[in-house]
Amino acid sequence: MSNFSKKFAVLVVIATLALIAAQCGGPTPTPVTIVETVEVEVEKIVEKEVTVVETVEVEVEKIVEKEVTVVETVEVEVEKEVEVEVIKEVEVEVVKEVRPIIYNSYNSDPGPRAFDEKMVALFNEQNPDNPLDHSVVQHEDFKQAIRAYLVADPAPDVMTWFAGNRGRFFIDRGLIMDISDVWEEEGWNEDYPKGFRAMSEVDGKAYFVPSNWYWWAVFYRKSIFEEHGIAPPETWDDMLAACDTLDGAGLIPITIGTKFRWTAAAWFDYINMRLNGPEFHLNLMLGNESYDDPRVKATFMKWQELFDHKCFIDDAAAYSWQEAIDPLAQGDAAMYLMGQFIMDSVPEDVADDMDFFRFPIIDPDMPIGEDAPTDGYFMSVNAQNPDGGKDFLRFIGGVEAQSMMVEDLGRLPVHTGVDQELFTPMQQKGIELIQGADLVVQFFDRDTTPEMADVGMNGLMDFWADPYDEDLLDEIILDLEATRAEIFDSAE
Amino acid sequence: MAVTSPPIKTKPKFDFTPYLFLIGPLTLYLVWIIAPMFYSFYLSTTDWDGISPDAKYIGLSNFETLFGSMGKRRTSPFEYALVNNLKWLLTFITIPVAMGLGLAIVLNQNVKGDRFFKMGIFLPQVLSLPVIGLIWAWVYNPRDGFINPLLTSLGLADPPSWLSDKELVIWAVIFAAAWRQIGYIMILYVAGLKNVDIRLLEAAKLDGANAWQSFRHITFPLLAPVTTIVVVISVIDSLRSFDLVWVMTKGGPANASTVLAVLMYIQAFNNYKMGLGAATAVVLFMISLVFIVGYLWRIMKDEMEY
Repeated sequence: MSNFSKKFAVLVVIATLALIAAQCGGPTPTPVTIVETVEVEVEKIVEKEVTVVETVEVEVEKIVEKEVTVVETVEVEVEKEVEVEVIKEVEVEVVKEVRPIIYNSYNSDPGPRAFDEKMVALFNEQNPDNPLDHSVVQHEDFKQAIRAYLVADPAPDVMTWFAGNRGRFFIDRGLIMDISDVWEEEGWNEDYPKGFRAMSEVDGKAYFVPSNWYWWAVFYRKSIFEEHGIAPPETWDDMLAACDTLDGAGLIPITIGTKFRWTAAAWFDYINMRLNGPEFHLNLMLGNESYDDPRVKATFMKWQELFDHKCFIDDAAAYSWQEAIDPLAQGDAAMYLMGQFIMDSVPEDVADDMDFFRFPIIDPDMPIGEDAPTDGYFMSVNAQNPDGGKDFLRFIGGVEAQSMMVEDLGRLPVHTGVDQELFTPMQQKGIELIQGADLVVQFFDRDTTPEMADVGMNGLMDFWADPYDEDLLDEIILDLEATRAEIFDSAE
Repeated sequence: MAVTSPPIKTKPKFDFTPYLFLIGPLTLYLVWIIAPMFYSFYLSTTDWDGISPDAKYIGLSNFETLFGSMGKRRTSPFEYALVNNLKWLLTFITIPVAMGLGLAIVLNQNVKGDRFFKMGIFLPQVLSLPVIGLIWAWVYNPRDGFINPLLTSLGLADPPSWLSDKELVIWAVIFAAAWRQIGYIMILYVAGLKNVDIRLLEAAKLDGANAWQSFRHITFPLLAPVTTIVVVISVIDSLRSFDLVWVMTKGGPANASTVLAVLMYIQAFNNYKMGLGAATAVVLFMISLVFIVGYLWRIMKDEMEY
């Protein structure tokens, strides 16, 4: 056997193992060197069996990761005129400021990113002694990376995240810092509507700062509707009729990009809420209702009608949600069921032609539910700079930052102190939309567990690929129910 | 630390110096590769969620979950991933290899502008996989892309939807991967062909061998070491495929283009099921092992015979 292939064999085996091993590993903690003054309580035993408790100022230079034990010998002059050499053991719990504040954010779309950077710059200007170290991670990747951030030590101090079940998952595992004190000191318990406090707390303690929320609705091009004599659909039949008109005119009635799947989940949310009521929908998301309930299948069958009427763009799965805006912007498509953040990505010259309407009513007897996801911030329980992090939370949750967010991004503020005059007509309309709802939920993948959402969205995509295969639908529902039972029934 | 010993020709004593130097790399290898590998094996038998401090031992039930999901009417993500990985592997060790070899032979004939063509064909290899994914996602885009608007302008009424058709999508992704791979394989073969002794080919020509015969009986056997490398590289590249799928389709639509690495990532880092993710990784590892060990065993046996 040649030397070459021996070497090569080793190489290949290494490469294979490396392939498997590549999934492991996380961020390595970086030790920080700090010089600081620590107030230390020293207990020392003197020869004469006198116990003296005194406060000594010690200058300590140390490399700290979290908890440090410093053993040192100090010569001390004691009041009692006894010259003693004392050996003290000093336990120093370091909860002092470590600079800078680490802030990881998922605001990767251009609009939110610019706003995020503006906020950081402003905070740093106001707090030159305690600046933020800001990093932005692509939105979809952040959702996966958060797990690693939270279990890392040291963890980032402040992170963007979602209210509802997605936050609850981490709170329940003790990874999120209790920030009830911030809520208390800033008076947010009064200044934030009760509903937002409720979604931020677990067992009476606040863990989350909701900073902005937005509404979901069917966004549409006013000019296209006008041209074809369509009024914003109020009922399901109106919607189907609008699809027929637009499809007949050679247009795409509804555009959607399902590459990232969640866009399709909005359709499930809304059809299920309009058909079966928001109560049932929320309980389904929370695992209290079964997927093999006939009402779930009815939702899919209702959804099928939209395919009957050729409502959706072809090849939806080929587009990301932003790519699917193109036909809307180019005037080839008329509608898009989306959150208000669609306006971040709509070209400026089209933005004036955009409006939205409430998702059509299917059963007029049902209460109205709306998706209104809330975004915000929380802190890691391992935060290295908890005081700095809390300062940033105070800043970002305060009136000043919230007002700027309203102006720059068009999201809705949580703080009631924000001047109502700032709201644009579109924001006013969005607020009215939500105020008109009987129950407000977050969103498909925010109201349930990540795994349930993953399996659920796979099911929706399977349905989308072949909406007329009823046997397939039955299997999808069986799979969803099996997953639900596994996740929720075992937990109790 | 260095021990200086005069070169004495005596009975070879056990010399630990090389091992001293090996300690460093071996430790790293142990810490970063061997240990995580066994840790993955261990994780695959637990229900760890990646966060909780304790992981419960659940035996082989992760593997039961994976393999038990196969064969149903609604294809499970794992079945898609497994089949797609095999499709990818089989495609990769045949088509790009054959095409790379063909191109290498053509461009080895002192064609005019061969350097230009070689460079052009090799160029995709320089791009990182995510970039290639982005390029091809655009090429396949049904509205603003390259292929479909072209087909439509040529009069084809309903061109296929490459990335949203459950049957087509994996082939569309593999094609993009192969596009990148061909240039690499071509370069490897071009280098190999430089080592083929021209006199052997001339001798064959004098003996009246035609082009095919001299390729079949002289060039190809002499290229065997290169072919070994090429096949092993192709196997590895096809099994570790992740980037292209992730960028182009995220495994969709409805998992139709998922591969084991993507599935593993989703299970472990999206669904917080480290155990199941590790089990998927173990399956991937076993497949690699079968191919690599099988192949190594073969070439070693071949070389024993020489």
